[in-house]
Amino acid sequence: MSEEIQQLVLWLIPVAPLASAVITALLGPKLLRYKSHLPCWSALAVSFVCSLILLLKILPSMGSAAVDPGEIGTFAGPQILVSGYEWLNVGDLHANIELRADSITAIMLSMVTGVSLLVAMFGSGYMSHDLGYPRFFAAVSMFVFSMCMLVLSGSFALLFVFWEAVGLCSYLLIGFWFQKPSAAAAAKKAFVVNRIGDFGLIMGIFLIWTNFGSLDFVTVLSDSARIAAVEVKNPGVIQLICFCLFLGAMGKSAQFPLQVWLPDAMEGPTPVSALIHAATMVTAGVYLVARCTPLFVMAPNAQLAVSAIGAATAAIAALTALTQMDLKRVLAYSTVSQLGFMFMALGCGAASAELVTPAVTAGMFHLFTHAFFKALLFLAAGSVMHAMGDVIDMRRFSGLKHALPITHWTFLVGAAALAGVPLLAGFWSKDDILAVLAEASRSKEHGLFFGVIWAVATGTAFLTAFYTFRAYFMTFCGPEKFPEEAGHHPHEATPIMAWPLRILAVCAALIGLAVGPTHLFANYLQKTMGLTPVPPESQHLHWGVMALSSVVAIAGIGLAWMFYVASPKVPGAIASAMKPLYLISQGKFFLDEILKALVVLPLVGIAKLATVFDRGVIDCIVDSIGAIPKALSSIPRQFHTGVVSSYAGFMWAGVVAAVVLVLTMF
Amino acid sequence: MTPEDLRFLLVGAGLFILGAIGFLTRRNLILMVLSAELMMHGVSMTLVTFGRIHQTQEGQIFTIFTLTVAACEAGLALALVLSLYRKSHSLDINLWSELREPDMPAPVQDAPARIDDGSGSYGDTPKLTPAGIAPKDPPRTKSSAGASSART
Repeated sequence: MSEEIQQLVLWLIPVAPLASAVITALLGPKLLRYKSHLPCWSALAVSFVCSLILLLKILPSMGSAAVDPGEIGTFAGPQILVSGYEWLNVGDLHANIELRADSITAIMLSMVTGVSLLVAMFGSGYMSHDLGYPRFFAAVSMFVFSMCMLVLSGSFALLFVFWEAVGLCSYLLIGFWFQKPSAAAAAKKAFVVNRIGDFGLIMGIFLIWTNFGSLDFVTVLSDSARIAAVEVKNPGVIQLICFCLFLGAMGKSAQFPLQVWLPDAMEGPTPVSALIHAATMVTAGVYLVARCTPLFVMAPNAQLAVSAIGAATAAIAALTALTQMDLKRVLAYSTVSQLGFMFMALGCGAASAELVTPAVTAGMFHLFTHAFFKALLFLAAGSVMHAMGDVIDMRRFSGLKHALPITHWTFLVGAAALAGVPLLAGFWSKDDILAVLAEASRSKEHGLFFGVIWAVATGTAFLTAFYTFRAYFMTFCGPEKFPEEAGHHPHEATPIMAWPLRILAVCAALIGLAVGPTHLFANYLQKTMGLTPVPPESQHLHWGVMALSSVVAIAGIGLAWMFYVASPKVPGAIASAMKPLYLISQGKFFLDEILKALVVLPLVGIAKLATVFDRGVIDCIVDSIGAIPKALSSIPRQFHTGVVSSYAGFMWAGVVAAVVLVLTMF
Repeated sequence: MTPEDLRFLLVGAGLFILGAIGFLTRRNLILMVLSAELMMHGVSMTLVTFGRIHQTQEGQIFTIFTLTVAACEAGLALALVLSLYRKSHSLDINLWSELREPDMPAPVQDAPARIDDGSGSYGDTPKLTPAGIAPKDPPRTKSSAGASSART
């Protein structure tokens, strides 16, 4: 494949969705109307095909030439660079619009565009009666474009630009039904909470700039000797950079305590939830941390923090999900929890240097599989919502098994994959994470720490299986019951909604098996810059961990079956027996309230104080300056009586004065 | 400069002064226009006299031009007066005092004069309010007598 074609393929990946966004935004409202999905579909299909070409053809073809495993320090991996034009040129800072693709990018791109394409197909069915149909597809195209550029960017500067663009698109989509006050508030909340993380990210980028003198990924990340030199020069600075970058990741990937925006983001249309939770947005944080592995390797404390925050998030989100009655909210908290799993894995490199690559691989693998089954679950939930007349409270309906057969079995596959039922996608990736954690707990230095994390992860895996199947049983099993909003006969998903569900179900079932135990994924990902390929002989399946996680998953499902099918009275009894605990979980650990008391209210207080200062001091000064001309003019104002004769008199007096002046002067 | 020239100049100055006094003291729009004309003709008089003193043509030429312009200006001024009258039904200049400062008191105004008393002879046209001593002989119409008695 010639170089030009390679560059064209790489450009097409982000440019196609951008073109679709522009076309839909300009022509959609007047011309395309309810055909607005066509540009979006075709653009995403083009992107997806190009991503697959990149993944399967371009990068493997350049692998042999670029890999230089002899020198571990300067390992850049196979990559393709395409420069566009120089965007910023300030002093020493040269920010180019430049696409850079390597293994991790190719994997992310294929996943993002593939899932987005299916979501867009589903969306055209789901949104078919909405007045904002063109707006929806314009925003979705823009969202995918931003995410593609985020993973394709070759420098921190460009990454930050599209990091923000993703945030903007999420704002537009979460607040899609902006007439609803709750949706507008949720969009604002997502935006503001993300700003906190973005502050960290940009601080990290500034620090990288001042310490490395470059924002280029290759310059900053490929040379571990250089990173070490920076660390020697300014001890602790790498750690600071990592903490800052991780703060950015926490905001975007909804980690404790910044996870509050993600459940509220359910206010958007369900396809948007699927997009945000699976393909775009939340994966950006995980991607950032994985991308910056060479930096994190130098900062074990930052890695420990990543793991600890991940574990805390996973546990808290799982406990919250136990009692939520809103189907989409259960899924939202499961996303938060699974993201916690990914971060737990990403932090494992602190235990020993050999664990770094398997840790990142496990995290990214979970991200990859999670994208499929979480998109599936959300789309299935959307199908339920569609059939139930936008009712999503699980107490209002049950026993939908027979009414919605396709939705039922696809949801079942997704739920089983999420719960970690053996051989399905989630099983392999979760097993990888647990294995890495188990490995890390054997290290001398941080053994106890990772032991605790491992225990939390296993417990959370159990909870995951339980709450996922609680949602499944409550929705699809039991006596058949529909809310009034659904009408008499709930309708199954239309073909355009059903096919994405089927495709995703197949992916969720098989993709883990296809690329996990065969080490396809690991071998491919480990060619990324900053990771060291693990020799094949040391790759093995972790039978012990697998057995344990299977048992945990089955136990969780069994318990859910016992509680919600066999003896439905038990949960209520437990809830009333442990009222305070139940309320804490139901109230989402009161994080919203705590944050409100700790952050929002002080800010409002400061704002009130500032108002007093503004009104009392600043306005006072400005007003008194304004009073000076008024005071000065108070005497001449008396002459403006509106009487023509008096004006004429003044004119006359003026003429006389002028004449007298002229006469006396000459 | 001969004594004759001096007399001419005095006449011009007198016309100008009289016009100025009339302009400054009168509130009737038409009288004010007349006063302005008077001032202008005082100036014209002076110009002609200066031409005579210096034995040049410019003074007279200038005056001819001034007269032409004055004719146009008089027509324009009377048209303006008429349209102002149509708006306020009065010739009182003090009715038009919107340019004063907002907190200044409104100037003293005449009540709008009711010209049209039903006889139809005057219509909506302005007329000079009688001034000075009322003539001894009986008034030609009823309305002018009424207006004359209403005049303060």
